[in-house]
Amino acid sequence: MKASSLLLLAVLASTTARAQRPVDFQREIRPVLSDACFHCHGPDANTRMAGLRLDTREGLFATRPSGAVVAPGKPAASLLIQRIHQEKPAQRMPPAASNKTLTDAQKTLLRRWIEQGAQWKEHWSFTPASRPAVPAGTWGRNPIDKFISKALAAKGLKPAPEADRRTLIRRAALDITGLPPAPADVEAFVKDSSPQAYEKLIDRLLTSSHYGEHRARYWLDAARYADTHGLHVDNYREMWPYRDWVIQAFNRNVPFDQFTIEQLAGDLVPNRTSQQQIASGFHRCNVTTNEGGSIVDEVAAMYAKDRVETTAIVWLGLTAGCASCHDHKFDPISQREFYQLAAFFRNTTQNPMDGNIPDTPPVLFVPPSSDEARWEELRAAVARINQAKTRRREEATPAFDAWKAKGGTFSAPVDPAAGLPLPELDQLKLAQGVEPGTGPDAGTPALHFKAKTTAVLDPPPAWRVEKGFTLSFWLLMPKADDAFTVMSQSVPRPARNKTDEDDDTAVPPQGWAIDIAGRVPTLRLAGENVVRVTGTNQMRLKPGEWAHLVFAYDGRSDQRGLALYIDGKQQSPSNRGNLILKGSPAVNVPITLGGEGRRHFQGGAIAGLRIYNRAVDPEEAGILAVWNKIDSDPAARLNYFLNRVDPEYRQLQTQLTAAEYERQTIARRSSVTHVMEEKRDSSPMAHVLFRGQYDQPRDQVAPSTPAVLPPMADSLPRNRLGLARWLMDPGNPLTARVAVNRMWQELFGTGLVKTSEDFGSQGQAPSHPELLDWLAVEFRESGWDMRRMYGLMFKSAAYRQSAAATPEKIRLDPDNRLLSRGPRFRLDGEMVRDLFLSASGLMSPAVGGPSVRPYQPDGIWETVAMKGSDTRFYKRDSGTALYRRSLYTFWKRSAPPPSMEIFNAPTRESCTVRRERTNTPLQALVTLNDPQLVEASRRLAQEALAAPAFDARLDVMTSRALARPFNARERGVIRKELASLMAHYDSRPEEAGKLVSVGESKAASGFPTPELAAWTMVASSILNLDEALNK
Amino acid sequence: MMNPADRRILLETRRQFFARGSSSVGALALASLMNADEARPVLPHFPGKAKRAIYLHMVGGPSQLDLYDYKPQLKEWYDKDLPETIRNGQRLTTMTSGQSRFPIAPSIFKFAQHGPGGAWISELLPNTARMAGDMCIIRTMNTEAINHEPAITFMQSGSMIAGKPCMGAWIAYGLGSMNQDLPSFVVLNASHTHPKAGVQAISARLWSAGFLSARYSGVALRAGGDPVLYINNPDGVDRGVRRRMLDALGELNQIQYETNQDPETQARIAQYEMAFRMQSSVPELTDLSKEPTSVFNLYGEEARTGGSFANSVLMARRLIERGVRFVQVYQRGWDQHNLLPETLAAQCKDVDRACYALVQDLKSRGMLEDTIVLWGGEFGRTVYSQGKLTADNYGRDHHPRCFSMWMAGGGVRGGTVHGETDDFSYNIVKDPVHIRDLQATILRQFGIDHERFTYRYQGLDQRLTGVEPARVISRLIS
Repeated sequence: MKASSLLLLAVLASTTARAQRPVDFQREIRPVLSDACFHCHGPDANTRMAGLRLDTREGLFATRPSGAVVAPGKPAASLLIQRIHQEKPAQRMPPAASNKTLTDAQKTLLRRWIEQGAQWKEHWSFTPASRPAVPAGTWGRNPIDKFISKALAAKGLKPAPEADRRTLIRRAALDITGLPPAPADVEAFVKDSSPQAYEKLIDRLLTSSHYGEHRARYWLDAARYADTHGLHVDNYREMWPYRDWVIQAFNRNVPFDQFTIEQLAGDLVPNRTSQQQIASGFHRCNVTTNEGGSIVDEVAAMYAKDRVETTAIVWLGLTAGCASCHDHKFDPISQREFYQLAAFFRNTTQNPMDGNIPDTPPVLFVPPSSDEARWEELRAAVARINQAKTRRREEATPAFDAWKAKGGTFSAPVDPAAGLPLPELDQLKLAQGVEPGTGPDAGTPALHFKAKTTAVLDPPPAWRVEKGFTLSFWLLMPKADDAFTVMSQSVPRPARNKTDEDDDTAVPPQGWAIDIAGRVPTLRLAGENVVRVTGTNQMRLKPGEWAHLVFAYDGRSDQRGLALYIDGKQQSPSNRGNLILKGSPAVNVPITLGGEGRRHFQGGAIAGLRIYNRAVDPEEAGILAVWNKIDSDPAARLNYFLNRVDPEYRQLQTQLTAAEYERQTIARRSSVTHVMEEKRDSSPMAHVLFRGQYDQPRDQVAPSTPAVLPPMADSLPRNRLGLARWLMDPGNPLTARVAVNRMWQELFGTGLVKTSEDFGSQGQAPSHPELLDWLAVEFRESGWDMRRMYGLMFKSAAYRQSAAATPEKIRLDPDNRLLSRGPRFRLDGEMVRDLFLSASGLMSPAVGGPSVRPYQPDGIWETVAMKGSDTRFYKRDSGTALYRRSLYTFWKRSAPPPSMEIFNAPTRESCTVRRERTNTPLQALVTLNDPQLVEASRRLAQEALAAPAFDARLDVMTSRALARPFNARERGVIRKELASLMAHYDSRPEEAGKLVSVGESKAASGFPTPELAAWTMVASSILNLDEALNK
Repeated sequence: MMNPADRRILLETRRQFFARGSSSVGALALASLMNADEARPVLPHFPGKAKRAIYLHMVGGPSQLDLYDYKPQLKEWYDKDLPETIRNGQRLTTMTSGQSRFPIAPSIFKFAQHGPGGAWISELLPNTARMAGDMCIIRTMNTEAINHEPAITFMQSGSMIAGKPCMGAWIAYGLGSMNQDLPSFVVLNASHTHPKAGVQAISARLWSAGFLSARYSGVALRAGGDPVLYINNPDGVDRGVRRRMLDALGELNQIQYETNQDPETQARIAQYEMAFRMQSSVPELTDLSKEPTSVFNLYGEEARTGGSFANSVLMARRLIERGVRFVQVYQRGWDQHNLLPETLAAQCKDVDRACYALVQDLKSRGMLEDTIVLWGGEFGRTVYSQGKLTADNYGRDHHPRCFSMWMAGGGVRGGTVHGETDDFSYNIVKDPVHIRDLQATILRQFGIDHERFTYRYQGLDQRLTGVEPARVISRLIS
């Protein structure tokens, strides 16, 4: 722009300034500064240029050597204005390299804002919400409407009239329960002449058990709930009790503060209940990995980041994740503050590697209700017995001394009744390459495997492998890194004709064997299938060193009945999981020491082998590991005394074993859900990670909250519970606004703040700021009553408007942000499927329970899955499981249900609070061709055919799908379609037969197949109507 | 957010479009019309050489040491330990970090020089070697990721954390559609043949549009069942029945529109008509019966077998021919932690001839000049053996510091070899190409400046190459 024209512009602008409307800093100025300037002149101290910041009052009004950045009333004297109009490109702001530009309109706005006095305000969402006065106005039914009509009037628009009753009940039913209304309910509502008919309807719908299901469906997007771990092998994760908790929390109308506290910190609530613990699963819904080469510190940092990001989006509407590598570019969240938030989540007992198991600790067993009382009793009993054991151990020294004085001796590590006789290893007949030699100590002879040869050991005659056993021995780890088999007793299987290249179901030889891979030991038991207990990468055997190993099996044909002890310490296996052993692992062959088939233990040695006819307990395993030191080690000697001599201690141990056994029995009947658990021996803390990198830890920080928000009260604990309470503090300016905005978004399609995930500087300003604040205060002061807030919105006249548009409304309010008409938009994918199932009568109404696998095209899982993943092959359910609500569909994160994904469902890999809503041809293909929906169309046709004639039949269909009868013109269209389809299928009955056979449920008999086929297509037409797919 | 004036124009355009009938508008254009609340970028930034790309991703990480990065002197290092000065603090995966030693495993394969640039290429790739004159081999690719999940995600989306759009989605978003009835970005998952090949997981997130609109995400073209999900009518519904049904549906929707005046309702009508047209364009696409014998002579008979790599690249050519912008082919099985000599040979056999055929086929159709073909994995493999090293068997762990990829077509400088690694193919000595550099270079060929090609998300102008520096490597392109 030429200087002269600039000047002209300035003159024009200043002379007209007084006549012009005031510039709104929040809506018109801050967003421009944020977008064009904050990147270099904002909160991030590390990239701030020229020491100038424009995101604070101090920075904006600072005086610099060359003048004031912003001189109120004096645009020409303001550096800001000078620099954006600079003629020399090199000095003009924003610089070309930033790829940012200011439009002339924006420049004019900035100038006018300064002319008008440069009023400045803190970013709106960081200031406390106070209840604004409700505007005057005649239109409407509750305060919401006054705000809406005021904004409409400002644009010269009028609200739409109320929608007709059929539209209203369908809209409300879909929004409250996610399901279309039953025809009888529609008719009752249409006929209800009471003035409160609509309010009664809303109140009734809000207490439906489907209300909680529908609300939960939105919440589970935010919670990133799914049924698999997410990364790499992406195995099953048992988590559905958490989903049930969410559904019931909505149905019980748990206040939002309690809802929040229990999900963020249910495990830390005083006198917590198991329900509160289940709720704490919110932050166990994140994606996890068990990829072989993963580095645990890196993975743990990733989980903490996800938890901070999710918490910030859901409760604060802030994109905190941006501050993990550097200070936030736009919002006042420093990198240090990000890690202070991360600290709340880093004191967890969770192993970052998920183990590819369905129940990665910490988990909670949720026993069936009939077992609940006993489960609690046992929990108390175990604690009591453990205390008594500790006490007895502390008191036992005098008794031990007395026993010693009376000549007590150390005879055998475990009660000899359990022992099975074995020859000494050096007495075996040995092949060349197997040599007797030194063991871990002089008194324990060993066999050294120098070559690929083995030794044969006859098993003790009384040994019954299938009844349970213990193998205890010393092992010398070879120096090579190969895979080994240490010993085995097994029979090869007949060779199979393997044609499937990916056959990962091959079972190892029947029997048992001890393998080592990556220096991690495993015991496998194979009958018809195989169960294993495998150590972890954290406890690898050391090359060239002896270790003591105990493998125990309790004989209960369940993988969870296998135990591994290394050097006397029980190992948490890397392959937990509730696999059941089928068939028997007992085989009638000798034990092979030093290998199995072509696998050997070359370079290793074993010593001190003992076999027992039952699983030893942890106490016994401990003694076995120190048995070679029993003559010298005082602790070992006392242990021996307690377990083998002292009747009291041994009795306690027996009780403990019995209690644990019973607990395991109940656990096997129980469901499992993932929960949060704090480490008890440390306090929450985190390190600032330089550039977000796990291997570049800097300062250690304590848990704390961002300084821009009100501080945490001193009385709050510095843990997740404190964080949750802080979020719900009435002084927090964000939580209530963010929560009511999401409710609004569910009903009206777009939030009052469109960017419902971002209330920060780069988010969109609210369309109705006063209404948002009014709702936020109302929500808080109602005691965080969610059902009440939904009720308020549903009962507003704004919600009840007709959705019919006019050209004027489309011109002035194209996206209906002002609500110049009622909300009308496409149903989400789950709702589309549920509509088909519900309208047709196919839907199973059951609430809650494990996830189900309905129809899914072949190959969706296999295409992406790892060999060996337990979610590699999709096995479709049958019966009612096919017809459950979509909320219960099994969600594999690396391949989500395609019919949902096509309708913009998120992958549930990260927190999502706002779904996109596209219309693509692929969606039409789903609703036209998905067998699930074709079957539903046929079912709807069947319902219709029970009626006597064309019109009555059509009424059945449209009343279920659309809640209204067709008019004469619409009936004409269907009549024509039906006639043509009837002619087609009458002449091709075999085609008709194919169509009505789609799906597992059988077509009802009694209707001519061509007629049913033709009506099936009619039903599909109706369910595919734009009107059906919209609310 | 679009300003109201633009919005109005768009709505008017939409009305004209529906008044005119929809038969001439492509799927993507239609989708944009139906749901536009964002302005598409003004692209290209400058004239580009490439209009489309086929990206052959060898999932698992092919061994550069056995294919393109020839190190004859390693023969003398057999079973000796990797010098600590070479390893120089490189972090290792936990699969080998516990290994007591790192014995060097020289490649057992023979190499020879090919093409005008004298590129050393392994005997495992005899056909690929024949087109060395078309290829630009980059020996100095590098990444920071050392495990598959983050590494593949990084390669595809410029970030190790899931959630960013992949390259195909970026290009679909940036350049839009060139065809009537097919998506702009299509994904194929090819099978492999060796039962013991090291298979890694992939996932739908690798062809997702991330924070871009879902309309830019890759549509999987499947070898089994419906080639595009739900494309086939149910049994007992032929095209005539579908037409009659859609006629009624359209009429009823039109009646609705007269009452509600909602433009979305008209969009719905068009959406169903587009679906109907896809129902004929997709079968036409996947029907290979009209491909002449010469094509199968070139690609090999296995190109007739749905899902094979040869079939997938032939399909890729057909997609490109029909105006699809970006075709992503994944082949798994390249994770050679053990049994490398046997399984790597099998993987190469799966792809070697087909890669050659694809490039020649594109060339003979005059399409190579504006189509980029890209081949490679997500990282390289270690010079030392994972697990037991013998004279004829070894495995290799993941290696991020250097690996090899090649490009052809689309203005890429053929017959060249770029970059040098040290004697152990462990560190880069000269001309590194970070994966961000590769992404920037590919965008450059499409006429896109990677720094200016942004999308606003979470308040930030996000880009494929992220916030770390990325350079266009001009020596790779002409």
